[in-house]
Parts: sequence; structure tokens; C-alpha cells
Amino acid sequence: MAKTVEELRAEYATKEKILEVKDLVIKFSLRGDVLTAIREASLDLYKGESLCIVGESGSGKSVLTKSFMGMLDANGWVESGSILYEGQDLAKYKTEREWLRIRGKEIAMVFQDPMTALNPLRTVGRQIQEAVELHQGLRGRPAKEAVYELLEQVGIDDPVRRYKQYPFEFSGGMRQRVVIAIALACKPKILICDEPTTALDVSIQAQILELLTQMQKAYNLTLIYITHDLGVVAHVADRVAVMYAGEIVEVGLAEEIFYNPKHPYTINLLSSLPQLGVKGQDLFAIRGTPPSLFKEIQGDAFAPRNPMALKIDFLHRPPYFEVSPTHKAKTWLLDPRAPKVELPEAIRLLQSKWGDDVVADA
Amino acid sequence: MLRYIVQRFFQSLLTLFVVVTVVFILMRFMPIEGFFGPNYDKLDPEQQQAILRSMGLLDPLHIQLKNFYLQLLRGDLGTSTIFRPNVPVWEIIAPKIPYSLFLGWASLTLSITIGFTLGVFMARYKSTFLDRLGTLYIVIINAVPSAVYYLFLQLYGKDLLNLPMLFDPDNPKSWILPIISMALGGIAGNAMWMRRYMVDELNKDYIRLARAKGMRNSAIMFKHVMRNAMIPMVHGIPTSILLVMVGSLYIESLYSIPGMGGLLIQAIQRQDTPLVQALVLIFSAFSIFGLFMGDLLMAALDPRIKLGAKEGSR
Ligand SMILES: Nc1ncnc2c1ncn2[C@@H]1O[C@H](COP(=O)(O)OP(=O)(O)OP(=O)(O)O)[C@@H](O)[C@H]1O
Ligand SMILES: [Mg+2]
Repeated sequence: MAKTVEELRAEYATKEKILEVKDLVIKFSLRGDVLTAIREASLDLYKGESLCIVGESGSGKSVLTKSFMGMLDANGWVESGSILYEGQDLAKYKTEREWLRIRGKEIAMVFQDPMTALNPLRTVGRQIQEAVELHQGLRGRPAKEAVYELLEQVGIDDPVRRYKQYPFEFSGGMRQRVVIAIALACKPKILICDEPTTALDVSIQAQILELLTQMQKAYNLTLIYITHDLGVVAHVADRVAVMYAGEIVEVGLAEEIFYNPKHPYTINLLSSLPQLGVKGQDLFAIRGTPPSLFKEIQGDAFAPRNPMALKIDFLHRPPYFEVSPTHKAKTWLLDPRAPKVELPEAIRLLQSKWGDDVVADA
Repeated sequence: MLRYIVQRFFQSLLTLFVVVTVVFILMRFMPIEGFFGPNYDKLDPEQQQAILRSMGLLDPLHIQLKNFYLQLLRGDLGTSTIFRPNVPVWEIIAPKIPYSLFLGWASLTLSITIGFTLGVFMARYKSTFLDRLGTLYIVIINAVPSAVYYLFLQLYGKDLLNLPMLFDPDNPKSWILPIISMALGGIAGNAMWMRRYMVDELNKDYIRLARAKGMRNSAIMFKHVMRNAMIPMVHGIPTSILLVMVGSLYIESLYSIPGMGGLLIQAIQRQDTPLVQALVLIFSAFSIFGLFMGDLLMAALDPRIKLGAKEGSR
């Protein structure tokens, strides 16, 4: 069934927040220097939705989501800000004991590379069973049965035989299914998928994606999906958050982001999509490199690479401007005083399709 | 699995064969005096030649080699020339084996248990005081010539702990110092590698997944990291055995232990070629046996070998 954007907005107005990130700052110390990987990022996650996080390499997608599980590398820490989950501020968690209440039980993760995500010397079944034992309170025979069931659920046939096999006896796609089974065994409320299909063949990518959407329904999961692939985004996302240099620069319903992008970075990102290329014109590419995270960033982090940057972009950091109740972006372009700028042709074409007649697949 | 074992077994046999040959050739480079009895000085050249001929030492090399193999196959290691003239070498060596075996076994056990444990703790508490202390120990053991700390231990063991300076089979207290001395190097080596392998494992991706699913660090250490690090460690056990044997050469002389190590030193000093030859063969056989055992243990621990996986199979 297809829903209009208005209907989706109305739906979101009644949805409950499950996770609230507020002005989160995450730093790392690296050879005596300190770098700021996450710069006052704010993000809300709603129960049951699929949120895609996009942004170029190094923008902080993994770091941000790892901080929800206390899985930052040892040289990193939360400097300020909060991560609210069920009345608790995860940003204040320090000890392993505290994090064990969250990891797996509340939030689980699927990683990018299934070839290395499993212990090569332990049977696949045992590795799933560890999660079953930790989070479902089962032991022995019943735990094993639960593993068989999980294996079947994620599409692995002959679970009794597969239980006893080692990861090297599984293909990449099958291993990713095992990793997903491990995540499901934890019975989490939130599932973070950090580029779960990047390392796989294209044909397998679709299968894994399909499996994840199925499992989301079956387990009532809230999904955070990190990806570079805007095709994947179009396929799975209810909402999209766009990251740039450690900030969430724009967030909105998938339709809002795709058809009505507001932040120059989002606009540039979409313009560089081959699918959107205008016939006879060179494919668009974002020029320049992201800013150094070691230095304090003045104004809008994207300004130096932005051909339509305003003067103020170099001086002051833009706040969020609301485009709709579900759509906001951190750019001075949305300030009422901002001059009108010429958008790339591809985006104008997109925007011309934008309106209340745009419908989303549900 | 069976194929792997059979393969390794024949490889070991082949190695043994090569070693036997090399030992034989090396022994032909030893001073010729080693083949005569105590009266070497009194023999004139003709008599010497006669003795050599009677021992088959003037035959062409390949005939000698063939005879040597046949002799070994019969279990005949030759007779001593100087040490105890005309006594079969085996009779000299046999009573010494239990001492060497016992002391070697004890120190090997010590070096593995303590070394592995130390390594585990150093990895678990990496970059803390404990880790630094362990590293200091490893550095010292590796930097100081072993003969120096052997002596050091012998002297201070006596002065401070009142432990016997010489070995006495009937007094277990006198076994302590030689066993510890022999184990020190192995402990350092095992601890160093164990720490290293565990730290390697800790940086692997699957540890992240194990944490993400909510396992405690201690459980991860125990069920994943330690077990995986054991595989390369097991591979190193033959080296430990070798180290212990090398140590025993000096330690057995130092503490007057009536074992094979001390015997080898004496045999070399007194140029008893058949005795040296037999001892070198026995030591080699032990090492090859150790290597073989290491391979078997590997196979038992590593499913990729157990199931005959091809590297990189998906
Ligand atoms: N342990 C660390 N020490 C120092 N810097 C780090 C560490 N981990 C991440 N960073 C830095 O934080 C920034 C964000 O990294 P992150 O891995 O979150 O990027 P990403 O958006 O996930 O990129 P990709 O798409 O390549 O996965 C990068 O500049 C990275 O160099
Ligand atoms: Mg990443």
C-alpha cells in the first residue's frame, strides 16, 4: 500500500522515540593529538522505523552508532552530549557492567565484513548459542533447539548439520546470515547494520537486504542502516540521516531527502548519483576533501567544498532549520534572509516532481 | 585428518633419515682419534690403518653409509671407544635417559604452564604494571647469556634459599634449581608468544561481534581469545622441547646430573665419536618426535586441519 508524505508525517507525529541523541561530541586521541569525530550530532530514532545513515567515508557513521553500544575503540570517548535510551543516559555509561545491560539485549549489531566477523575456530552453532544462552536464559538442549530455529529463520537449510560446521565452510552470504542470526538471538529492540552488504556480491546483497526487512517485521525491530548505496536507501529507509564531518546535516523522510534535499551536501550527494545524471552532461562529483577533524571547524563544515556557499557559511555554524515537522537541515540556505541560489539541474528536475502527489512505498 | 597424520608421520620419518645421514657425514669430519681406544698414542700408523679397516672406516663412503643404516635398523648404536672402551654405547646411555627425561619433562611442564599463564595475564592486563614486569623479565632472560643466570641461580639458590648446589637423585630439594634453570628461557619465550598471539586475536573483528552480542570480556578472553591463541602456541611446543634439551647440556654438567646432556659434553671432550654420534641421534629423534607431536596437537585443535580445509575456501 502506498502512503502520501502527509500520511507518513501524521504517522510520525504519533510515533514514540526509542533513542534520542543530543549534541553528542566524540573525540579520539591519536598520537598525542585529539580529533573530534562526532561534532554535536543530534538524532532521534523512532520505534519500529528503518533509519538510514548516509555520508561519505570518515563522516562518523560507524563511530556514532558504536557509541550507542559502548563499543568505541579504547582511544575514544564521549566528550559531551547525551544518548537517551529508556530514561537512561548511555553517554554516561563507563563500566562493562553497565554496557552489558545494553549490548545484545537492547541493541545488537551486524557488521560489514562477514568473512572476519566470526571466530574461525568455533562452530557456527556454538557462536549463535552463546548469544542464545546470554539473552534467552536457555541452556543445553533447548538452547540448541533455539539455534536450529534461528538458522532456519535466516534461511540456512539443514540446521542440525550446519550447527556443527565452522565459518570456513560457509560462503560470505551465508556467514552474514549467521551474523544476523546471532544478532536476532539476542532479541534486541534496535538492530544496527553497519554496511551489512558492502562486502558481498550484488546478487547476495539483495537477499540479505530482503532477509533484514523480513526479520525487522518478524522481530519488531527498529533498524539503523548505514550505507553508501543510495539505491539501498531508497529500498529500505523510512527516514534518512545525512552525515557530514561528524554532524547530522540533514534528516527527514526518505521522500523528503530524495525529492526535496535542502543541505548543499545532500544536494551534491544526490547530484552525483549516476541515475540522476542529465543526458549530455558530465556526471557530477563533489570536489575537494572533507575537513581535518583535528582542527576546530568554523561555520558550515561543507562550505569550502560548496560552490554555492554563502559568506555566512564560513563564519557561523548553521542551526537546524525546520522544513517540515519531519524534515530539518543545518544550512543557512534555509534562513529567510538567505538569497536564492541556483540548484543543479538534476535536483531541479527532482524537485519538480516533489509535491503532495509524491507517494512512498510502504 | 587421518591423511594429515599419515602425511606428517612420513614427513617425520624422512626428516629422521636426513638427520641420520647428516650426522653420519658430520662425524666423518671429526678428528680421527675419536675412533681409537685410549692407547691411540702408542699405535703406529700401520696398526691405526688396520683398526680403521676393521671398523669399515676405509670403505667407500656409500658402503659405509649403507652399513651405518643397516646397523641402526638393527638397533645397534656402536661401541664406545674411549669413555668406556668396547662397551656398547646403548648400555652407557640407557641408565642416563630417565634422569634427562624426568628433568626435561619437569622443566618443559613448568615452562609451558607458567609461560602460558604469564602470557595470558600480560595480554589481559596489557600496558599495566603486570605487563611491563613480564616484559622486563622476558627482556632480561633474552639479553643475558643463559650461562650467566644459570650460575647466578645456582649461587643465590644456595646462599639465600639453602638449596643444594649439586644434584642428588635421592633428595628432591636438589632437583629444584636445575629444573627452574632449564625452564626460565622457555617461560620467557612462551609468555612472549602467548601475549603476542592473544593481542593479535584481540584485534580481530570477531572479538567486536562477541562484545556486541553482550559477552563479558573475561568470557571472550577465555572462550575465544585464549583458545585461538593456543593453536600457534602448540606449534611452538617443539621449539620449547629443543630449548630444554639445549639447556640440559649445560645444566646437567653444572649440577653434575648423570643424564644424557652431561654425557654428551663429556663424550665430546674425550672425543668418543660413536658415543657422540649415538647421543646426537637420540637428541635428534626426540626433537623430531616433538615436532610430530606438535603437528598432531595442531590437528586436534584446528578444525581447518581436522576437516582438511583448503586455504581460502569459501
Ligand atoms: N580508533 C580511532 N582512532 C582515531 N580516529 C578514529 C578512530 N575510529 C574512527 N576514527 C575517525 O573518526 C572518523 C569517523 O570514522 P567512522 O569509522 O565513523 O567513519 P564512517 O563514516 O563509518 O566511514 P566508512 O564509510 O568508511 O565506514 C574518521 O575520520 C576516523 O578516522
Ligand atoms: Mg564505517
